[in-house]
Amino acid sequence: MDSAPSRRPLSTAHGARPLPAPFGGAPRPLHVLIVGWEFPPSHTGGLGVHCFELCQELTRLGHRVTFLSPTGGPFTPVAGVTFRHPGEKTGGRAPEFPPAYWAGGTADSPFTDSTDGYNSWVSELKTTDPFDVIHVHDWFGTVGAIALARRLHVPLIMTVHSTEYDRSLGHPWDHILHREELGIQAATRVIAVSRHLRQQLIDRYRAKPSKVRVIYNAVRPSERLERIDPEKRIVLYVGRLAMMKGVDTFLRAAAQVVPSFADVLFVIAGEGPEYERLIQLAAKLGIGDRVMFLGKVSEEEREVLLAGASVFVLPSVVEPFGIAALEAMAAGVPTIVSKTSGVAEMSQGTVFKVDFWDVNEFASRISELLEYPTLRATMGDQGRWAALREGWPERARETLFVYLDAMRAAGVRP
Amino acid sequence: MLYLHLHQPWRLARFRFLDLGSGKPYFDVDRNLSIFKGIAQRSYRPALDRLQQALEEFPEFRFSLSVTGTFFEQARLAAPDVIDRLRSLYRTGRVAFLAETYYHSLAFLLPPPELSEEVALHREMLDKEFGAKAKALRMTELAYSDDLARFAEAERFRGMLAEGWEGALHGQPATYPYCAAPAPTVALLLRHYPLSDDVGFRFSSTGWSEFPLTADKYARWLAATPGEVVGLFMDFETFGEHHQARTGILEFLSALPGEVHRHPHLGWATVEEAMEIPPRASLSVPYTMSWADQNRDLGAWLGNDLQRSAFEAAKKVGVLARRAQDPAILTDWRRLLTSDHFYYMYVSGHGADQGVHEYFSSYESPYDAYANYMNALTDLRRRALDRLGVPILK
Repeated sequence: MDSAPSRRPLSTAHGARPLPAPFGGAPRPLHVLIVGWEFPPSHTGGLGVHCFELCQELTRLGHRVTFLSPTGGPFTPVAGVTFRHPGEKTGGRAPEFPPAYWAGGTADSPFTDSTDGYNSWVSELKTTDPFDVIHVHDWFGTVGAIALARRLHVPLIMTVHSTEYDRSLGHPWDHILHREELGIQAATRVIAVSRHLRQQLIDRYRAKPSKVRVIYNAVRPSERLERIDPEKRIVLYVGRLAMMKGVDTFLRAAAQVVPSFADVLFVIAGEGPEYERLIQLAAKLGIGDRVMFLGKVSEEEREVLLAGASVFVLPSVVEPFGIAALEAMAAGVPTIVSKTSGVAEMSQGTVFKVDFWDVNEFASRISELLEYPTLRATMGDQGRWAALREGWPERARETLFVYLDAMRAAGVRP
Repeated sequence: MLYLHLHQPWRLARFRFLDLGSGKPYFDVDRNLSIFKGIAQRSYRPALDRLQQALEEFPEFRFSLSVTGTFFEQARLAAPDVIDRLRSLYRTGRVAFLAETYYHSLAFLLPPPELSEEVALHREMLDKEFGAKAKALRMTELAYSDDLARFAEAERFRGMLAEGWEGALHGQPATYPYCAAPAPTVALLLRHYPLSDDVGFRFSSTGWSEFPLTADKYARWLAATPGEVVGLFMDFETFGEHHQARTGILEFLSALPGEVHRHPHLGWATVEEAMEIPPRASLSVPYTMSWADQNRDLGAWLGNDLQRSAFEAAKKVGVLARRAQDPAILTDWRRLLTSDHFYYMYVSGHGADQGVHEYFSSYESPYDAYANYMNALTDLRRRALDRLGVPILK
């Protein structure tokens, strides 16, 4: 999206750095209500990070954000963001919720009950704040957000980070699907995190193409550690251990790489329902001694892992975006992703793209990166450039333009 | 002076790391031939036919061609009629063939005698297939340097082609014949790059201020160009492939000889004829110059780490491949020296030339190109070592 007008430097004296345009190109500060689900420090997927960064950049531009959460936190504080959650007034504890993305649960399971509780609280939200837009992320809060938007006469924006079709590998839970459909149909504007996902929303959810925008995720240039040269060469996977992540392909490819490289170690960081099955698979493939399962790692640990990794692999069967791969690129690690991932779309040709089922090709690409140091170095450098070329400030501005667009479409003057 | 270059590389198949030692062929013959057939249909046949007609219609019309060995091999398999057309052009006596490396390779950067052998292979091919004895030499991608002039002299060539690049001309016009400073018997004919690129690059750009370019306008530009000889050097695929037939490029080609004829002081010459004009001065080019990209150097092939590392690796494998005394190994190695493979590994991301590179690339990215190339080369190295009876160490 073209954000040129907001980047126009203001007149500055003495060559000082130009200030960002006030409100990022909006005519006045907006008050944004985000109907969220997870938020740092506790989050399991890209959704929490996305919401956090969005909150930070929007408030930095001078906008106000109220973030609704199903739980009472803790929340990493962001200046200018008000957090609200069920039970806030009574002082009672908010109900416990299972992590967002674990598959499972039935229409009458506790999981659904708790989202129902959240939704009814959202729909009846007591507020006197003049919100300009309501922005809901994924299906969890759609029902409540739709009702609230109608009650307050405010346009609704929905960001889809992933779909139930994808999370369930084609066996969606009807009640979740239904909530996704409701949100996508009711929202004035829908944001998808990749072109691939946008097309899915159009094909599977009958979203009107004219209202679906693509806004990619981004990564923050961290205080990057110097690259570490570990004793063994490391091929890294970081992410949840779920079916849709294709970690078994990673292991099968590893089994083909291991015979050619005596000093390579495959490291899997993350937890999930596939954990035990994957350990068994590694043993069955005879590479138990060449694969390390680290379980859940902290952010600091992940940075260390990235600083020492020779290759990063994202073998997902389905991956609406794949922020872990973008983080690897930003850390200068040459990266291999499956062709269908959203990150493949924005990588500017600096990653290897492989069909998610093609074990031989994954093995070959890993081997090539291990074997040819010049390839590793060049791809690492160029990948970092591609990953950091645009960041969350650009993404937040793009989101802001969608808000303004939605307000105009809803007949509200921004 | 019109000179057209005919070349197709043997593109590699996807040769995976896991394919090492499998005996899988490196080159995807079917894919190369199907690409060739497509270009033959769109460019080679129609443009060669038009050139033939022009020769029949205008007795003064003449031009020069170069045909690489890898082009010839593919033409023989994919479209033998293209070779017949070339032979028929040559029989008119008004078409000259130039010598070059058989493999359109970077052999000029390798230790002797590789370059001399590859040029000899190409001369043999011209002689055997067309009965042509080439008197002029053009190097891959119009590479030229003082060293190459010395080489041309040693190989008894009368002249060479080079880019008419200001950096080498020191204020002198490109529209005169020169001779090589270190080898004065070697005539130098220079490419007039603005006029060549008007046709080669700009012909179909609707955003160009001179669009559309007509043969009549172009002939007027030629007539208004001071000097003795204007070198219009371009890829043959300019006609029908880079610019598709619907742009009117083929009609342009047909009409050009007639339009030039209307200017009494203009005439046509082959490279061999132009070489006989006395040189205006001698030129010294102490570095290697080419016709590619903004810098006219070897940056398009050896400008980044990937390219240099691949070429260095190829050089080393060459020592083994030559020593192995196995024609199949030597041929595969030489096909891997074809400049196109290195061109595919170009990385810029920001520069103006990236678009041109992507257009010509058969890979999704330079990294794909590099990895694939290195796999094939690694496999070749193992074959050569095997042949030499050396145990393979990883």
